[in-house]
Amino acid sequence: MSAGSGNSSMSSRGSIGSSTHNNATATANSSSGSNSNSNKPAWLQQYDLIGKIGEGTYGLVFLARTKSNPNRGKCIAIKKFKQSKDGDGVSPTAIREIMLLREINHENVVKLVNVHINHADMSLYLAFDYAEHDLYEIIRHHREKVNHSINQYTIKSLLWQLLNGLNYLHSNWIIHRDLKPSNILVMGEGEEQGVVKIADFGLARIYQAPLKPLSENGVVVTIWYRAPELLLGAKHYTSAVDMWAVGCIFAELLTLKPLFQGAEVKATPNPFQLDQLDKIFKVLGHPTQEKWPTLVNLPHWQSDQQHIQGRKYSDNPGLYSVVHLSQKSPPYDLLSKMLEYDPRKRITAAQALEHEYFRIDPLPGRNALVPGQPGEKVVNYPARPVDTSTDFEGTATVQPSQPVSSGNAVSGSVAAAPVVAARSVPRPMPMVGMQQRVQPPPGMTAFNLASQAGMGGGMNPGSSIPMRAAAAQAHQQQQLRRKDAGMGMPGYPPPQKRRY
Amino acid sequence: MAANFWTSSHFKQLMDQEEVDVVHSPDKEKGITLEDFKIIKMHMANYIWKLAQQVKVRQRVVATAVTYMRRVYTRKSMTEYDPRLVAPTCLYLASKAEESTVQARLLVFYIKKINTDEKYRYEIKDLLEMEMKVLEALDYYLVVYHPYRALSQLLQDAGMTDMTHLSWGLVNDTYKMDLILIYPPYMIALACIYIASVLKEKDTTAWFEELRVDMNVVKNISMEILDFYDNYKTINEERTNAALNKLALKPSLVKLE
Repeated sequence: MSAGSGNSSMSSRGSIGSSTHNNATATANSSSGSNSNSNKPAWLQQYDLIGKIGEGTYGLVFLARTKSNPNRGKCIAIKKFKQSKDGDGVSPTAIREIMLLREINHENVVKLVNVHINHADMSLYLAFDYAEHDLYEIIRHHREKVNHSINQYTIKSLLWQLLNGLNYLHSNWIIHRDLKPSNILVMGEGEEQGVVKIADFGLARIYQAPLKPLSENGVVVTIWYRAPELLLGAKHYTSAVDMWAVGCIFAELLTLKPLFQGAEVKATPNPFQLDQLDKIFKVLGHPTQEKWPTLVNLPHWQSDQQHIQGRKYSDNPGLYSVVHLSQKSPPYDLLSKMLEYDPRKRITAAQALEHEYFRIDPLPGRNALVPGQPGEKVVNYPARPVDTSTDFEGTATVQPSQPVSSGNAVSGSVAAAPVVAARSVPRPMPMVGMQQRVQPPPGMTAFNLASQAGMGGGMNPGSSIPMRAAAAQAHQQQQLRRKDAGMGMPGYPPPQKRRY
Repeated sequence: MAANFWTSSHFKQLMDQEEVDVVHSPDKEKGITLEDFKIIKMHMANYIWKLAQQVKVRQRVVATAVTYMRRVYTRKSMTEYDPRLVAPTCLYLASKAEESTVQARLLVFYIKKINTDEKYRYEIKDLLEMEMKVLEALDYYLVVYHPYRALSQLLQDAGMTDMTHLSWGLVNDTYKMDLILIYPPYMIALACIYIASVLKEKDTTAWFEELRVDMNVVKNISMEILDFYDNYKTINEERTNAALNKLALKPSLVKLE
C-alpha cells in the first residue's frame, strides 16, 4: 500500500474493517464536496457527523453517531489530531494517549473504541464512547442555573467512581497528571447513565522506571489542581499528585467553587506559581518541616525563602469552614487526608475507597445522576453544546452569523430526524468563536443542514441558552474554555505549553 | 499495565516461533528465504542500535524500536515496507513512546551521515509517512516489556550482581533474534542469567529450583541464544547485502521453487 492511499482502523475491537482505498479524495472533500457522504473516507462513512464539541491545541473533537449495527445510533466522540506543525509527525500527546488507552480497560476510564489514520492528510483520529456530561459543566450548572448544591448522594457517587478509576490507573502504574473537573466525564442517558469516566490521557504516563525525571516533560496539571510538591518544584513526583487534584475536585463539588483559585504565571517554562501556593497556604496554613520532612529539599522552597517562607498564614480560616463541613464529619476527614501536604502521607486512592465516608448513608451508587432520596428533585443537566456548522476537516460550512436557534426551529429534514431522536436536545452553541468564514460548498451545506436540523427543534428546558444577547464576557469565557478542551471537555485555564 | 505483564497487550501478542518465521509471499516471490529474513532483521536491529548511539537514546528505546520492527514484519512484507525505512521509523516512534522524543530532522541527519548507500537515505517526509503506517501495522499497541528490569531484580535476588555486565550484554544481543516476540521478558532474563552463570562457572541450580520456573523453557531459550552466537560468526556484510538486494529484484526474475 502506498502512502496516501489507505485508511485504516484499529483491528481488534469493533466490527470495522480496515484498509480501503478510496480516500485519495478525502481531503478534497470539504472543498469540492459534490456529495459529502460518498467522498468521505470509508471509516468516516460509518458515522454520521453531528458537529464539533471541542477544540484544543492538538486539533478538534467531534460528536458522531454510529450508522450501522451492532452499535447503531451510538454516540461517539472523535478526537482529531493534526500533524504537528514542527514537522515531527504524530504528536507525543496522541502517542501517549493511544499507548495507555490501548492497554487499559475499566468502567471508570473512558473507552477508546477505535483509532483511524487518514494517510492522505496524515491526520489521526481517536474514537471514544461519548459522555454527555463532565464535572465542569455539572458544577457550573449548579452554580449558575440551579442555585443549590449538588446532592450528597451524587457527590459521593461521583467521588467514589473517580477514585475507583484512579485506583485502577495507579495500580497499573499510570499517573494521570491532569485531573480537573473538565476531564472527569459522566455518561448521559443510556445503560451507563451517571457513570464516571476519567478522560484525557494526553499527559498521562507510566511511572515505573522513567527514563527521564518526570519534570522534564514540562509543567503539568492545570494550576488550580496542582499539588504543592509540584508547585515547589519536585523532580520526581508520584501518583499522590492525582490525589491532591481529587481533593480539590471534591471540595469544588461541595462548594461549587474552585478551592484554590490562583492566578497563573505563564512567562517562563517552569514558572514558580507563588500565587497558587499563597491560595493554598491561606486555607491550609503553612506547611512545616515537622509535618513534611522532605519539604526542605524542594527547589523552590529553598530558593524563594523570603517569598513563601516569609509570609505569615496564622489566621487561616481552616479548610472545614471553607467547605462548610464539621471538623469531625467523615467527608471532612477524607478531604483533609487528600489535601495532606506531604505526598507520602497523603491518602491513596485505594485507602480512600475504604474510607468511612463511603460506608455511611447515602451509599455511593453506579448512576450518580439520580436523586439520592425518593422525592428529591432530578436535576436535568444540559447536553454538551455542539457546533453543527463544522465538518471533519474543521471547516465552518455555515455562515457564522446565522442565528442558530431559529435555524434549528424551522428546519424539518425528515432524513435526519431518526438519527437524533434519542439524543437529548442540546443547547445551541454561540457562534462567536468561529474563525473560518468559508463559503459552504453545495454538497456540504446539505449534509450539515440535515444534521443541524435534527439537532434542533427545541431548547433545553434545563438551561437558559447563551444566545447572542448574552454578555460579551460570557462569550469570552466560553472561548477561553474551548481552547482547553480535551475530549471536547472544556476546562478552566489553558494548560501549560509542554516541552518535548 | 506496567505492573501486570499478564494482562498486557504484549503478553496477548506473544507468538510461536513458527508464526514469527513466516516469510510473506511478496518477499518469497523475490527469493527471500527464512535465513535471509532473519539476517535482514538482525541487520536492521544493528542499524537501529547504531542510529540510537548517534541520537543518544538509551538501550530501552532501542529495545522497544527493535521489537516494533520485528512485530511489523510478522504482519507486513519487506517488499511493501522497506526495512531501511522501517528501522529508523521504529526508532523514531519508540523514542516518543518511551518519552525520549528524537526530532525527525535530527534522525534524518544521522541517517545520511552514517549511510553512503543511497538506498538508506530517506527524507523526513518518508519517515513521517512511515510512522503512521508502522503505528497501523502495530495495531496501535505500543507498550513493550523488556527483560532489563527483571534481570536487575533477579540478579539482586540471587546475589549475583557481579554478573550484571555480562548478562546485560547477553540480553542486548537477544534483540538480534525474535525472542522478544515469543517469550515473556523475564524468561529471557532468566536464560541470560543461566548462560552467564554457566560461563562464569557459578552454581545456580538451587536458586533456579527455588524460582519454580519451567527450566526446560529457560534451557531452550539459552540453547537458542548459544546457537545464534555460533551462526552469527558466519554472517558478514556481503551476506546481508545479498539478502537485501533480493528485495530490489522484480518478482518475475526469480525462479520459484
